[in-house]
Amino acid sequence: MKLTINGKQIEVEGPKTLLEAARENDISIPSLCDHPRLSPFSGCRLCLVKIKGRKGYMPSCSTYAEEGMEVQTQSPQLKKLRKQIMEFILSEHPNACLICREKENCDEYKSTLRKVGEVTGCVLCPNNGRCELQDVVEELNIKRVSFPSQYRELEVKKRDPFFDQNYNLCILCGRCVRVCHEVRGNSVLTFSYRGTKTVVGTVLDLPHTETGCQFCGACVDVCPTGALTERELKYEGLPQRMEPAICGLCSMGCELQINLREGRLLNSLPSDQGVVNQGQACVKGRFTLKDILYSQERLLRPMIRRNKHLEEVDWDEALDYVAEGLGQYKGEKVALFSSTQLGCEDGYISQKFAQEALKTGNIGTPAVFFPVQSLKRLAQNHGFELDLNFRMDQISEAKTVFLVGTDVPLTHPIIWLELLKALQKGARFIYLSPNEFEINRHADQWIQNKPGTESYVLNFLSRLILQGSSTSQDISEREGFHTFKNSLENFPLEKAPSITGVSEKQLKEAAEILGGKSPKAILFGGAFSQVRWRNQNLSALWNLSLLTQAGLYPLDLDSNSRGMEVIHGRSFDLGQSFNRIVQNLSSGKIKALYQMGPVPLPQKIKTNFRVFQDSFLNAQREQADALLPASTFLEREGIFVNAEGRVQKTSPVLPPMGDSRPDWWILSQLAQRMGVSGFKYKKTSQVRKELGENIPELNSASSSRLKEKEVFLKEEKKGPKKFLPVQLKETPAKPTREYPYLMMVEGSQDYYRNFHLSEKIKGFRMIRDVHWLYISPQDAEKLELKENQPVKVESTKGKMSRKVKISTSVLSGTVKTSFNWDEPSDSLINFDSSLFPAIQVVPVRIKRGE
Amino acid sequence: MEEKVLTKNFGVKNSHRIDVYLERGGYQAVQKALQMDPDKILEEVKAANLRGRGGAGFPAGVKLGFVPKEVEKPKYLCANADEGEPGTFKDRYIMTHDPHLLIEGMIIISYCVGIHKAYVYIRGEYEHIAQQLEKALSEAYDKNYLGQNILNSGFDLDVFIHRGAGAYICGEETGLLESLEGKRGYPRLKPPFPAAIGLFQCPTVINNVETLSNIPQVILKGAQWFVNKGLPKDGGTRIFSVSGMVEKPGVYECPVGTSLKDIIYEYAGGLKEGKKLKAVIPGGLSAPILKPDEIDVPMDFDSLMEAGSMLGSASVMVIDQEKPILDVLRVISDFYSHESCGQCTPCRIGNSWINKIIHRLYREKGKKEDLDKIIRLASNMKGKTLCPLGDAAALPILSLTQKFREELETYTES
Ligand SMILES: Cc1cc2nc3c(=O)[nH]c(=O)nc-3n(C[C@H](O)[C@H](O)[C@H](O)COP(=O)(O)O)c2cc1C
Ligand code: SF4
Ligand code: SF4
Ligand code: SF4
Ligand code: SF4
Ligand code: SF4
Ligand code: FES
Repeated sequence: MKLTINGKQIEVEGPKTLLEAARENDISIPSLCDHPRLSPFSGCRLCLVKIKGRKGYMPSCSTYAEEGMEVQTQSPQLKKLRKQIMEFILSEHPNACLICREKENCDEYKSTLRKVGEVTGCVLCPNNGRCELQDVVEELNIKRVSFPSQYRELEVKKRDPFFDQNYNLCILCGRCVRVCHEVRGNSVLTFSYRGTKTVVGTVLDLPHTETGCQFCGACVDVCPTGALTERELKYEGLPQRMEPAICGLCSMGCELQINLREGRLLNSLPSDQGVVNQGQACVKGRFTLKDILYSQERLLRPMIRRNKHLEEVDWDEALDYVAEGLGQYKGEKVALFSSTQLGCEDGYISQKFAQEALKTGNIGTPAVFFPVQSLKRLAQNHGFELDLNFRMDQISEAKTVFLVGTDVPLTHPIIWLELLKALQKGARFIYLSPNEFEINRHADQWIQNKPGTESYVLNFLSRLILQGSSTSQDISEREGFHTFKNSLENFPLEKAPSITGVSEKQLKEAAEILGGKSPKAILFGGAFSQVRWRNQNLSALWNLSLLTQAGLYPLDLDSNSRGMEVIHGRSFDLGQSFNRIVQNLSSGKIKALYQMGPVPLPQKIKTNFRVFQDSFLNAQREQADALLPASTFLEREGIFVNAEGRVQKTSPVLPPMGDSRPDWWILSQLAQRMGVSGFKYKKTSQVRKELGENIPELNSASSSRLKEKEVFLKEEKKGPKKFLPVQLKETPAKPTREYPYLMMVEGSQDYYRNFHLSEKIKGFRMIRDVHWLYISPQDAEKLELKENQPVKVESTKGKMSRKVKISTSVLSGTVKTSFNWDEPSDSLINFDSSLFPAIQVVPVRIKRGE
Repeated sequence: MEEKVLTKNFGVKNSHRIDVYLERGGYQAVQKALQMDPDKILEEVKAANLRGRGGAGFPAGVKLGFVPKEVEKPKYLCANADEGEPGTFKDRYIMTHDPHLLIEGMIIISYCVGIHKAYVYIRGEYEHIAQQLEKALSEAYDKNYLGQNILNSGFDLDVFIHRGAGAYICGEETGLLESLEGKRGYPRLKPPFPAAIGLFQCPTVINNVETLSNIPQVILKGAQWFVNKGLPKDGGTRIFSVSGMVEKPGVYECPVGTSLKDIIYEYAGGLKEGKKLKAVIPGGLSAPILKPDEIDVPMDFDSLMEAGSMLGSASVMVIDQEKPILDVLRVISDFYSHESCGQCTPCRIGNSWINKIIHRLYREKGKKEDLDKIIRLASNMKGKTLCPLGDAAALPILSLTQKFREELETYTES
């Protein structure tokens, strides 16, 4: 449509606000409450404009452009009006610096004066130099404020981790309130009181830690003033350099903007250009990178054990030492555990290294616990292929969403944001879990099942759906349909409540929702696929997805689990390999172990030679013969495959710290010293090229198309999908009199290699502690347990220390915890019987004390 | 002449009970309406030129016509019983004396638009009235004027009562909707208007209690009858809430267009004990003030607009000579600076500065510029705020400061 602004004819494609239309055409209109990603608020009133033929003034941020409109954004009256409004705002804001005549000189001489509790002017404000309020004052050329200043006298809040709240600086633009509610689905922030007493904050002024805040930092990022500021940034100057990087802390693969000054990382922000994350991130990517990168425990020099002590040495010495050590244990005597947080190049080299230098097939990866690998195995066993790639926006387009067993805002933050978009468009949403999640308030239904009975619930649902309506032909003609249908006869609905704890009525309602509108999305996460009975879980879910014609989305876990899974999975059966390694380690058959990240292992294993290649010193260093410093994802280039299957390349934003080196480099050097040819790489790109030639799924690894961020793992779609027979062989152990509580366990997601966020970062520990034992208020009362009290949790197989977290999210009779992947895990992980390692649901007893 | 058509049941013993209401011809309009084609009802309401009694005076029929006909979503009706405008107390009389009249009006409008869920958003302080209304609802349910298949017509309607929590802004229709949805009562941006996107994002009719209570007689007696009661473009009678220094404060039902002078002197018995008139606020606290020489004005929307004021909620507040005008100004400003919801800058901060200046005039002699400052601040609010509350504050303050400048200047240094 065509309209004129200030007499100039412009053309815009609708629907667009006048402010957007003006911005597109480089016409500046002062604004403060508007934000491109948020709904219009029109509270500040700075963006008022005059429209011909309309009474009074209209806010351009919420008035939509119309054909033939004649808009005036500048006039003496508008100028006066805006000045008056700005003076209003400034009368409630420390304004001395803003209108100070010495401003320019001051800026030059006092750049960082922020170590004060009270902000009385820009020079003392952490937002100085990156403040939108300053920009607008500049734009409006405000030189005086005709009102005396009003100080709100609000307490500056520093009680929460990661960011401070100084609402004395707040201009009530409501951006933080809107972003939290609209984009993050959290609604932690709100306005309170009215008139001039209006303030922004949490309900009842509670600390953020008590309001379900995820500390995603979105509110901080949109705040135009210094009211919400990142604590770490307070004493820092402005960034000199900004670099993009792909976050390596979970499977979302967010693009971050890394801010640097004097060669140091200042902080990290979600990148507005991020294809995956679109200006959003989570607490890990937003607030923890600095702690990770500059950790006291960063491994900066190679270390080897000499005379029983670990000693720092140079690379030459270290490499020789390790090459010699490993040289003695080849084939069946050695094993290598890689990590799902490495780049594909590292993964490829570790694979090649194991095969060609160590001459072994003993390669283990934590990917075996993760959704994609579990589902893939199931499909392979039954002889069909899967399409595992998806795009985030498929989830936001779903009309019916079924989530199984993962607290998605915590485990897959960006997936949650997409799911939220679907909900805002009216999608129905149900989730299945023994535990209540924060997102319950968004759900149409929470099916709370007894732990471990998920597959039963799913089969009951399938049965109800089959009974409910006639099945379409393309479903009933699918292979396996009739066997599947007949086997569901064993699921009479009357039995559902006693087996699963879910009422018939609820199952019926859920079945109705699942039978509803398409497109449908079924999402599942780690908890569902890491248990011993994962196959019966996954078959049931698979069948249900075929029956309801829903897309099935396995939400994989680490930053490159999907990449590593294809690389390692090409030549090995990963599950068998993992368990064989563990058994042979326990029996002493394997004598040398090479580890590149935390792996769950039995406590009592003995090796003759053990190498840790990692970025951090860890608790197991006492068992190490050598420690080799690997650089982090911020210090090197590499490609990573996120949960969608999207292949993303990240570049180094900083040089490697100390003597740390990329993982592929370390392994290639070792291989060379072990006399193996074919490892002479100079650059990451050479490795990548070779990888692309050898791993068909990653044949685009070197492609220049990676820049467009639209490259996915190559998938071959073979053969029709079929229904699987219902097989219910296993049930979780039942609590006994001696061990009366059923404990659910999940591997922690909050780590980077050997660095465990909740152990090392106090703020993170305040939000979620890997060692929390969630227990219901009833059980806590019965056991006379108090919040944070140390307890011992004992099972028949072992014990562990935890801290009490009283929570209504768990059923009475059950408890829930997580564990760091390198914690001694005998009591948690089933290494023996099944083909796959599995995390247990175990009966436990709880005792007070450390 | 005082006309008792809307208030005909006021003062009748147990008039709030359904049997008394029925005895006196109640629910006949519903019976008639349920036999009518909904479009016919809409036509009738349009023709009656019934203008909204909540304040803005928007023609009720036109508003109904804005509701989209063919939509998948449910539609809602909200009776605005927040009655927050200072000086206004007519809705409370209706709900106390004749709750079924409101219910009947709500049934007819709901039937007309195809609404099956209606709400009464009632002022928090009206606790006892809410209870009484609750009883009236259950009486209506018992006799099947509400609920499923009303009077075998196949039409269903449920009515719910929602109590406010004491904010003036929740009487503003979109603030009301937010509050009804359980949120903070921040007014919404318009457009979209509630008729298209209202409660829970669905088409919604919002009308004042008195507006809705007029519907039964429009249906029973016809639009022409209604227009004849008032003026061609502003039909019917109105319930005037008269307060201040008059002999007989209270509610008076008079035809639209009755002279303000008559309302004060004839019905309300003139000023108390021979006091002399200083000023009148004719339409609730938001209406610009009138001086004694301006009160010979017909009380209808257009005439008052012409006179530079507004009919608003038809609440007449009479101020006598002895009352210092600064007190009046202060009361107005105290109210608006307290009730500003805080969402937009000019109203939130503008009102508070006006208020501070006024309070300072009590403490110490002011400067002449103070009055100019008040005028400038108020002008910068007028027409620039997010919702009409900014205007509602600016207009009376402007008129009062301008019209009584001389008296106000006695508070400043000469
Ligand atoms: C600040 C403000 C407060 C209002 N308070 C009320 C009120 O208490 N009761 C009411 O009926 N209308 C009130 N209104 C008017 C409503 O917004 C709306 O116009 C009215 O309910 C529509 O009904 P009507 O068309 O039947 O008058 C208020 C308007 C504003 C701007
Ligand atoms: S928020 Fe901005 S304008 Fe206010 S003191 Fe800080 S830097 Fe200055
Ligand atoms: S950090 Fe995120 S969740 Fe917490 S208040 Fe801010 S936007 Fe909301
Ligand atoms: S805290 Fe910041 S974002 Fe939130 S309302 Fe205040 S100024 Fe706006
Ligand atoms: S969601 Fe994942 S990838 Fe994104 S910032 Fe958080 S940890 Fe990093
Ligand atoms: S004008 Fe006043 S009441 Fe209306 S939105 Fe603005 S601050 Fe709130
Ligand atoms: S930007 Fe439009 S009113 Fe604030």
